[in-house]
Amino acid sequence: MDSLGRVELPGPFAVGRYAKTLRDELRRRARVQLIGEITGLRHTRKQTYFELRDAEGAVPCTIWAGELAALGLPEGTLRDGAEFVAAGGPDYFIGSATSSPAFSFRVTHLRLAGEGDLLARLEALRKQLRSEGLFELQRQLARPRLPKAIGVVTAESGAARRDLLAGLRRRGWAGSIVWGFAPVQDRRAAPAIAAAIQELAAMPAVEAIVVTRGGGSLADLWAFCDETLCRTVAMLRVPVISAVGHERDATLLDDVAAVACSTPTHAAEAVVPLDCHAARGELVRSAAALRRAGEGAVSGRSRHLVGLARGPARALRRERIALNQKTREIRASSERGLAQRRAFQRRLALVVLDRAARRAAGPEAAARREALRRAEVAFRAHEPERTLERGYALAEDAAGEPVTGAAAALAAGHLRLRFADGAVGAAIEPEGGGQ
Amino acid sequence: MSEQPRSYEIAVERLEQIIDRLDSGQAGLRETLDLCREGRELVTYCSAELDAVGKDLEELRLDELAARLEAPGDS
Repeated sequence: MDSLGRVELPGPFAVGRYAKTLRDELRRRARVQLIGEITGLRHTRKQTYFELRDAEGAVPCTIWAGELAALGLPEGTLRDGAEFVAAGGPDYFIGSATSSPAFSFRVTHLRLAGEGDLLARLEALRKQLRSEGLFELQRQLARPRLPKAIGVVTAESGAARRDLLAGLRRRGWAGSIVWGFAPVQDRRAAPAIAAAIQELAAMPAVEAIVVTRGGGSLADLWAFCDETLCRTVAMLRVPVISAVGHERDATLLDDVAAVACSTPTHAAEAVVPLDCHAARGELVRSAAALRRAGEGAVSGRSRHLVGLARGPARALRRERIALNQKTREIRASSERGLAQRRAFQRRLALVVLDRAARRAAGPEAAARREALRRAEVAFRAHEPERTLERGYALAEDAAGEPVTGAAAALAAGHLRLRFADGAVGAAIEPEGGGQ
Repeated sequence: MSEQPRSYEIAVERLEQIIDRLDSGQAGLRETLDLCREGRELVTYCSAELDAVGKDLEELRLDELAARLEAPGDS
């Protein structure tokens, strides 16, 4: 740029001529088909104006009234919110000294988007969102098994609402539901649903959100393929359960949600995974198991302890019984031994007597008898009785033991004096004690 | 009561562990009594959680809640 503010570019050209050049260049661009949602539809006598829009942008469109009439679209088909395919090319109205210029996509043919168009668009969007990793975010969120409060986005009047409630009741769940009622089909649906979901997610008590509506064609469910809605859901930190239509994975919302269900009833099971009826029964069983375990642990061990405490006494009794048994056995054995010994001695005596008898019957018997007589006489000479007969007395104590000394006699105090013809008692006194 | 479980599912998971351990018969007396006490606390907690969603279904409307919040002077 120089000191006068001029830049080094071609021109300046007259703007009208430039506008015509621009228009001609645009008109030379390839003619194409665009698909998007009709918004801002308005008709004038000469032309019809609308915007064809999707989540990423929009193009202003015009179609000559005559051309539109020639298409023969059914009454009411062309309306805001409807998905249309527009064929044509870019154009530029250069305006004039008094009218404003305008860019538009000059439409020469217009038709309602068919299932195939929608599916193609859905696939493109699906591919895009998947490549951004948006399908994984919700699935990574932890879902509570027993939420106390849930949010539900659905139409206020509809079977989906009733079915969901019935499903929740069947699970025995009666927590809090916050209803976010929203249109579920027309062009207002997607933004309204997205807003309701965001508001529900902003409530701290809400632990999971269900988005549900009944079945329909892909065009009916198109709001649930809205890119903005799906991006919103993907980024939420609250799990969203999608139950839209009667088939899973039909809409893009199914792809980005934490769980996709085919019916509101299934959605009830997904949002409250715990069957509360069954859980109550299970809890009662758990409580009983704990009680049994606690009581059993104490009583079982008590029994064991009592058993242990009785152990020593039982062992002692066992030992005593064994001891008595042994004693009896020993006694019996000893008596048996004594009897045997006696029998043996008897047999021995008989043998000795028998030998003696046989010896006595022999030739030396007379000599032996004489020797025996002499021995008897000698033996008798030593018997105390023989001594007593000679005038001696035998001093005995009370037990009959002989007392052979004065000290023992004094100690005994009383003696029995045995004479040859009988015995008398005698009190002992120290010698000279009587004086 | 000892530390409150963070959620119903955590409580139930712990309760199942406790009952498995008790059923194994390998816990000593002290451990058994401690597990029984902890288990009873978990049962009480779970029971309260189930009671909280077992009485009457409460239905609220988002639009009414929003209107209530926006109403001036209304707490």
